[in-house]
Amino acid sequence: MNELKGGIIPSKTGIRETIIDLIEKSVDKGIFDAVIIPMKVPSGDSFVYVLVKDKKLLKDGFPLAPTMLVQGAKAVSSVTRLGKGNMKIAAIIRPCEARATVELAKLGQADLDNVTIISIDCPGVLPTSDFLEDPDKYLKKFDDAYKNWDDKIMRPVCQICDKSSMVTGDLHIGTLGAKKDTCFIISNSEKGDSVAEKLDINLNQNLDSWNSKVKAISEEKKKKRIKAHKELKSTVSGLDNLVETFSQCINCHNCMRVCPVCICRLCYFDSDKVKHTAEDYLTRAESKGSMRFLPDTTLFQMGRMMHMSISCVSCGNCEDACSMDIPVGQIFSMIADETQALFDYVSGRSLDEPIPLVAYKKEELHQMEDAND
Amino acid sequence: MERKIGVYICECGPNISEKIDIDKVIDAVSPIEDVAVVEKFKLLCSADGKKFLEEQIKKNSLTHLVVAACSPKDHEKTFMMVCENAELNPYLFQLANIREQCAWITEDKEEATKKAIRLVKAAIGRVKYHSSLEKKEIDSIPDVLVIGGGIAGMEASLQLASKQRNVYLVEKTSDLGGLVKNYEKTFLGMKPISDIIDEKTKKIDSNGNIKVFKDSEVEEAIGFFGNFEIKIKRTNEESEPVEINVGAIVLATGSALFNPDKTPEYGYGKFENVITSLEFEKMNLSGKILLKNNKTPNSVATIHCVGREERGYCSEICCMYSLKFARYLKEKLPNVKVSNFYSDLCIPGKTDQKFFNQTKEKNVGFIRSSNIKLTKKGEQLNIEYDDENKNKQNLLVDMIILSPAMVPNDDATKIAEMTGVSQDDEGFFAEEHEKLNPISTSTEGIYIVGCAKGPKNISDTIVQAEAASGNILSSLIPGKKLEPEVKTSQISESFCIGCKTCLTVCSYGAITFDETKKISVVNEVICRGCGNCVAACPSGAASIKHFKFNQLYQEIKEAVK
Amino acid sequence: MKEKEQKKDVLVIGAGIAGIEASLLLSKADRKVHLVEKTSYTGGATIKFEEVFSNMECSTCMVAPRQQELLQDNNINLITLGNVEDVKGSVGDFTVKIHKKARYVDMVNCIGCNACFEPCPVSLKNEFEEGLSERKAIYVPCAGALPNVPMIDTDNCLRFKGKKCTACQEACMFEAIDYNQKDEKIEIKVGAIVVASGYSLIDTKPLSKFSYGKIDNVYTSMEFERLYASNGPTEGNIVLRDGKNPKSVAIIHCVGREEKGYCSSVCCMYSLKFNHYLKSKIPDIKISEFYTDLCIPGKSHQKFYEKMKETKVDMIRFNEIEVAKQGKDTVVKYSTKGKKNTLPVDMVILAPAIEPKNDASELAKTLGISKDDYGFFKEENPYVSSVISSKPGIFIVGCAQGAKNIQDSVSQANAAVGKVLSLS
Repeated sequence: MNELKGGIIPSKTGIRETIIDLIEKSVDKGIFDAVIIPMKVPSGDSFVYVLVKDKKLLKDGFPLAPTMLVQGAKAVSSVTRLGKGNMKIAAIIRPCEARATVELAKLGQADLDNVTIISIDCPGVLPTSDFLEDPDKYLKKFDDAYKNWDDKIMRPVCQICDKSSMVTGDLHIGTLGAKKDTCFIISNSEKGDSVAEKLDINLNQNLDSWNSKVKAISEEKKKKRIKAHKELKSTVSGLDNLVETFSQCINCHNCMRVCPVCICRLCYFDSDKVKHTAEDYLTRAESKGSMRFLPDTTLFQMGRMMHMSISCVSCGNCEDACSMDIPVGQIFSMIADETQALFDYVSGRSLDEPIPLVAYKKEELHQMEDAND
Repeated sequence: MERKIGVYICECGPNISEKIDIDKVIDAVSPIEDVAVVEKFKLLCSADGKKFLEEQIKKNSLTHLVVAACSPKDHEKTFMMVCENAELNPYLFQLANIREQCAWITEDKEEATKKAIRLVKAAIGRVKYHSSLEKKEIDSIPDVLVIGGGIAGMEASLQLASKQRNVYLVEKTSDLGGLVKNYEKTFLGMKPISDIIDEKTKKIDSNGNIKVFKDSEVEEAIGFFGNFEIKIKRTNEESEPVEINVGAIVLATGSALFNPDKTPEYGYGKFENVITSLEFEKMNLSGKILLKNNKTPNSVATIHCVGREERGYCSEICCMYSLKFARYLKEKLPNVKVSNFYSDLCIPGKTDQKFFNQTKEKNVGFIRSSNIKLTKKGEQLNIEYDDENKNKQNLLVDMIILSPAMVPNDDATKIAEMTGVSQDDEGFFAEEHEKLNPISTSTEGIYIVGCAKGPKNISDTIVQAEAASGNILSSLIPGKKLEPEVKTSQISESFCIGCKTCLTVCSYGAITFDETKKISVVNEVICRGCGNCVAACPSGAASIKHFKFNQLYQEIKEAVK
Repeated sequence: MKEKEQKKDVLVIGAGIAGIEASLLLSKADRKVHLVEKTSYTGGATIKFEEVFSNMECSTCMVAPRQQELLQDNNINLITLGNVEDVKGSVGDFTVKIHKKARYVDMVNCIGCNACFEPCPVSLKNEFEEGLSERKAIYVPCAGALPNVPMIDTDNCLRFKGKKCTACQEACMFEAIDYNQKDEKIEIKVGAIVVASGYSLIDTKPLSKFSYGKIDNVYTSMEFERLYASNGPTEGNIVLRDGKNPKSVAIIHCVGREEKGYCSSVCCMYSLKFNHYLKSKIPDIKISEFYTDLCIPGKSHQKFYEKMKETKVDMIRFNEIEVAKQGKDTVVKYSTKGKKNTLPVDMVILAPAIEPKNDASELAKTLGISKDDYGFFKEENPYVSSVISSKPGIFIVGCAQGAKNIQDSVSQANAAVGKVLSLS
């Protein structure tokens, strides 16, 4: 983990304005040619990611939006999947989105050479269905909650997120522990250093107050997380509980579609491999007595979990998109903690850290060999 | 397309017929859809049996063949040939092993029959989804590129060159001979090296099928076994590279010596008259063994195992050449005192011990020692050491010869990257299998010989050069076409997500990445069908011909139903 | 004048790993190979080892695919129980007479079910198992021997000694036992000969200071290999003659080195391998390795030594050594660093020198090739090639030419093939 260095910038108006200001300055100085940033849609009831080229439109940017319909990593990946392009892009995204972006880069789905990832200390994000009840009311509730760092109205996975200030991109805006009317700007890479330099920001400031506040919040959240997972585990453990939990699943595959790290062009569970002959179904029905349709929903959930668990960033978009209100984000996030822990891996932690399933370690081979002696 | 599957069950003499109720099997599989005919036969692998099968295929216009008999290791090829002769694509065939996997593992006839039925049904289920596969034949170039003109390279070139096979020998210096041309004599028999080198050089010069490129390096080597495209460039010159095509490459690039700068306790570079073995060889070859002040030494010490701990291996030849040095010294300076400082004597060759005994007789000292430190004492060098009994001792000498470990050449990594050959932990080229394939590499058609693959003496180097020729002469035959693997991997363009996971697991360099389409592509000529990529592919885009998902799924489904 | 036709077929003597590799490579070049093997099985010494250094690969798993390939290769005519009796001619045109002993079992009908062993009334020590277990007069040397067809030992079979016994034939369900088989005399014409006849270990009985044969729990390395082998006499259990596990072992290197006058090059490495064997079955066992010089050339070998050292083996360099009885104990008496010591141990494993096979002299005479001072086949000139014998067209590979490990034997086998293929 590299030592982070950072600077302090004025933040008299809100954090959103501070960030817009920073971005506008950067575009003026030619540091960025385009920006990926959330914006409020005209009708006011949604926020979307926009690739902004015309700097006049930057003032409408809405970083730290109250909802996250599209995971930021998907936006960055869409732009750079087929190559980096010749424009320098800044992406203003949440820490979990930054982590997912890093995972996608490792999976060859995003080219970050010309992308500068800027993340922010994240208070969480609202469940979309809540927000839609009354967008104006909930936007105000979100901003209040942000001021007090109160996560009660956020997504269940956000309420137990201990990585809400994790730095993995190039720059990170630290609001926690900052003196009044200021915030920290923290650099995690040479790219970040270079941006700060061009903006005349001195990165040698003391980050102790941010570090300690972040640590305190993270530890508290970790405690909540462990407790929540313990309770959740008991409701999904065992085949009966598992089937019961997913019994409402209608195989709409929304969760898979919005997940930033589900990257297959044709999901196994959408392919011919799960289409069987009448005879096969009849045989299955025969052996079990009967068979429900559509079949294999629990299999889909387990299969998807196996495939993406090592890269899951616990963003919760799956649960947000679930049309049947299954707590799928909480469950997948809980299991992801365990699978990643097996390999001492944290998804998205570092671009240089290879994904465990493709990393070969010689000593692991001997562990296998000796195990059979 | 209408399928007509023919199922034939072999009695295998009494082997199968007495352990399995074949008629029950016939009854069980006859009603299966697409099965056109089911019959048994006494011995299908016999001449009669093969004739019977061929006739059956033709008579019934079979589209697929299932044979229930012995292990595929025994007769899969036999029955595939029968298909070919009957003009049925040999891959539209499946062999169910109801002997080794069934009749031979139980006395219970009922259980054996039940299992045999499952195995045959599984084979039928699978074969329905087989596709015709065609054998590929590619032209191969019998010529060979040998990189490195030392003893290994020269020997390999002479072994390989013939009227039908050109050898291109590329040497980066201006002379052939490599390291050994610096030695006066060999250590077995103390024979003059120049005789050996001169003879080989003469043979190479007069051999019209060997083209030598001196002062040259190989810049590029791309392609695969049978068809490599090579670019040879003259070093330090702006000329155009020479382009040649060869079928195989022999890496005979030799080795270098560990730099004793890294072990300052031996005073190399610090004190005068501390020299390496190579420097001593050169000095000896020049005829004059002298100290820096031009006087002849009265006492010389050789220190073995310099760098052994740092490198982590024994360099095999140093004990023997240190004995040779003792002989050199005694020949030229009869009264000189010679001492050898060593830890373990490594003299494994059959005549090595005799050589050692004879050397000892000439009044050469052998001191088993550890913890050696060198200091200067006046004009002389003081060797401080712990002897066998861990007592501190010292010896004053005029000259010290260090025996440094043998290490890979500086350009080993460059050559490894250029050719796709792996390097082992020490940086030497890695062989395909330590024991059974010591000369070939995981890149088919590229062979490694001599010190480039690890320290060794001249005799073993020559054997390895000949071994490389044995491998090449038997697999790259002029006029004979190469048949690459038929059951290769395929990567679907539409499903590949460009994550490059397959590239990291392919041991043969058979997969490349198309940067435009952002997908992985398999080279079917290099691919050996190992299946690593299929197992690793997260999105199911990779599959192996003849082992497709559906083929395996149907087989398993029928086996466990 | 018509040029004498060069025969392309090749004779390979010995189906150990070197002979197998040479045969397979020659077959790849479409040469017909006559592979003559003295015993009833292929694989030579390598199939007696459970694992090989330094990556502890399973030896039989390593060799079995090659044996399978060999048995199915149409270019290779494997003649087991065969002995080369006469060789005439010269390179390009050798006429070879082979005496093939009858196996008395039909190789096509026999399915290798082993039912004929049980009823055989004759039991004797199994040579393959170094006398540690018994076999019948009709037998295969070990489970998994290839070809998997038994032979009748006519020296011990009752029937062949005049008695009336048909026990094995009655037990065979496949009509595979044929007492009427006869020895055959086979004559072949070949262009080249590759001699891969292997090695023996020096007989340690006459080396009285090691008390082999006198003290019960003194074993040779080959006996120990069989003890550890999972298809061996104890199914891999390392036990003393009384069936108990040893608590301490002494492994003595260089046994017979003084007498033979050369280092056998592989013993230090396999003795270290024995460490791994012993620790894997008896984790608390105390091991002492007695050696003079540690000879471990080979790029991966020192790493293996370091790894074995971590298992707390006692490496003791000795000047003099002997194995004796002290009361009830077996002790190793040795002198090191000027001091004399005595170490009581439960088991002693000797690493005996590698020497030429006892019929090497005869074979040399039959072939008309020279031997060196140690009895190995002599290479013409190691700086021309160590595989070329004193007679053109006859090549010597593997331990028949000098003690060496598997990698070097295989390299020589490949080298001999190179020489054969470039002959014509």
